[in-house]
Amino acid sequence: MKMKAKLLLVVMLIMSLVVAGCSSSSSNEEESGKVVLKFLHKWPQPEFAPYFEEVVKEFEKQNPDIKIKMEAIADEPIKDKLRVILGGNEVPDIMFSWSGEFARKFVRADAALDLTPYLNEDAAWKDGFIPASLQPFSSNGKNYGIPLRFNGKFFIYNKEIFEKYHLEAPKTWDEFLDVLETLKKGGETPLILGNQSPWAAIHYLTGLNQKMVAQDVRMKDYNPASGEFTDPGYVKAMEMFADLNKKGYFMKNVNSSSHDMAKQLFFAGKGAIFYVELEEFPDADKNMKGNWGFFPMPDITEGKGSQKYITGAPDGFIVSSKTKHPDEAIKFLKFLTSKDNALKLVKQIGWPSPIDGATNPDTALKEVAEGVEYMKQAEGMAEWLDTDVHAKVADVYLSNIQLLLDGSKSPDKIIKEVQDVAKQVKSEVE
Amino acid sequence: MIKTFRNRRTALLYIVPALLLILFFVFLPIVLNLYNSLFRWNSFDAGRTFVGLKYYVRLFQDPVFLIALKNNSLYAIISLVFQVGGGLIIAAILEDKLIRRFQPFFRTVFFIPSVISIAVVGLLWQLLYNPEVGLVNGALKAIGQAEWGRSWLGDSEVAIYAVVAVSQWQYTGYMAMLFLIAMQKIPLEYYEAAMIDGASKIKTFFNITVPQIKEMLLVGSVITVIGAFKVFDEVYIMTFGGPGRSTEVLGTMLYRAAFRNDEMGYASTIGTVVFVITLVLSLIQMKLGKSGQEV
Repeated sequence: MKMKAKLLLVVMLIMSLVVAGCSSSSSNEEESGKVVLKFLHKWPQPEFAPYFEEVVKEFEKQNPDIKIKMEAIADEPIKDKLRVILGGNEVPDIMFSWSGEFARKFVRADAALDLTPYLNEDAAWKDGFIPASLQPFSSNGKNYGIPLRFNGKFFIYNKEIFEKYHLEAPKTWDEFLDVLETLKKGGETPLILGNQSPWAAIHYLTGLNQKMVAQDVRMKDYNPASGEFTDPGYVKAMEMFADLNKKGYFMKNVNSSSHDMAKQLFFAGKGAIFYVELEEFPDADKNMKGNWGFFPMPDITEGKGSQKYITGAPDGFIVSSKTKHPDEAIKFLKFLTSKDNALKLVKQIGWPSPIDGATNPDTALKEVAEGVEYMKQAEGMAEWLDTDVHAKVADVYLSNIQLLLDGSKSPDKIIKEVQDVAKQVKSEVE
Repeated sequence: MIKTFRNRRTALLYIVPALLLILFFVFLPIVLNLYNSLFRWNSFDAGRTFVGLKYYVRLFQDPVFLIALKNNSLYAIISLVFQVGGGLIIAAILEDKLIRRFQPFFRTVFFIPSVISIAVVGLLWQLLYNPEVGLVNGALKAIGQAEWGRSWLGDSEVAIYAVVAVSQWQYTGYMAMLFLIAMQKIPLEYYEAAMIDGASKIKTFFNITVPQIKEMLLVGSVITVIGAFKVFDEVYIMTFGGPGRSTEVLGTMLYRAAFRNDEMGYASTIGTVVFVITLVLSLIQMKLGKSGQEV
């Protein structure tokens, strides 16, 4: 008996050694003469992952000397994971990043490679992008990121409910409020919102801030080195959002419903209007079969910001400054954003592509193509508030917006906190 | 003479590997953490700026720190009442002669929650607490108390209690198990003598059972209290400190500082404070428990 136990222990020990030995030898394929590129993106979902797998396979077929090691981490965890891996030794060569300040903090830390020379070298590649999709990835006139998607935020509405009350898509904020009031009086839930992860409500504020505050003031405030947030527009923007809640336009339990749960409610016809990203349009069409329409955030007549902006931003990839194979990494990015693959992206998963002409009524859902057209016509993009300001400012916005919705904090108190943290950030960023 | 010398050398030889491991993996990180808390730095930037004790000053003025301390203390107190107190009562009932033959069944039932991984438990309870489709509000409705229903995790006033309750559900059975094992070691003669003297069950419980498993009670209390100050996963999964900062505990505050706000120095400061708190609690335990003959 005792002998047996000992034997088992020895066998297990040897097994674990063998397993450990195997794993370390297989990870080292560089010896076989191949260049190994590590590629990190954020779409592990079964409906999106196959696209990346197919593109990578095709790329490896065309470039037999390059091997791509792909890894995918979901939306929320990648925010933390990126920060951790960038500090380690196993930094991916190509990694996902949001545009704006989220990417800029990596630029400030010299962790992202300057891609300007590569873009200038290949004019055809550079000119293929819709200009507004490259700009949010730039910092001090240099480009640090290559966009994969060009995402905008729009209100989608249930046509059946709108027709029941003879409503039309509102053009101004006052019209919008009228629509909501009519819906509420009719006993409908006017607005669907799932704010368990508070970025959902912050997306409202992204547009409201942009429309209420003059562009140059807002840009100065969003810059960590000069942010003050003293313009009264910030409080007003938040008050307008709080009003929607006070007047009872939002569904019940916003803070404990996730965005996905909210989406299901909207698809089931339990609410009239829902604020979503362009990438969610195909999903809406699949579930509602033509019974939906969309409109951008309505104009605010008294707002000091441009009313011709669209809320949204590109997201895409940055290249690590520590990469040993910058040329190969660029080669892969060029392949990923080639017209063929952009068309494939639009057709296969229905995402809006930043490649000019790739998102058209032939390839994409009619509404997605229209949405991209809105963005091309727009004067500029209001980038996501939670990725466009310094992480600490974003954190104050994010955590307080839930308290605004459950009524335990007022807009001016929250903006006061924003101002305090902005001051702190200013003193820390040289 | 030579022999003792050689013995000492052999003894040292046996101690050194463990000592080195502890030095490298326990003491060095503690010292490094203290050192790191004096700088402003983040995980992806090579540069760091010396800030001295600035972060400590900020921490003690940070209103979120007070919320976190309050929540951790709440965790500790509620856990003491339910896990140690409740666990003790459950164990005593299960040890009672009348119920003892069903004991294996109940023991398993009570113990099951503690073997489920925290990630699963968190997601499970998120669903149970869901105000629309969740079982909790559904059950309240079924017994005609629908107005007691709440948006449990979305209401900043009740969210922390909802989170704490999950830990109670998960670990009370585990504690009960520990106490059961201790109770089974109590010689039966004590109970027989008490019975002959005509002592009631409650009297027997307080005068025989409790004093006999004192040591285990103490160990259980210490595990619970220290665990309450290190809690992280449940909160992280269920609310991530929200709504607002109402369920923030020291663990999530540290995580937020390190991986969301890029303030590793501040995170190290919080880490140091957590270390001091748990160290003091452990010292109190050593003082009270003296030897730790059991476990």
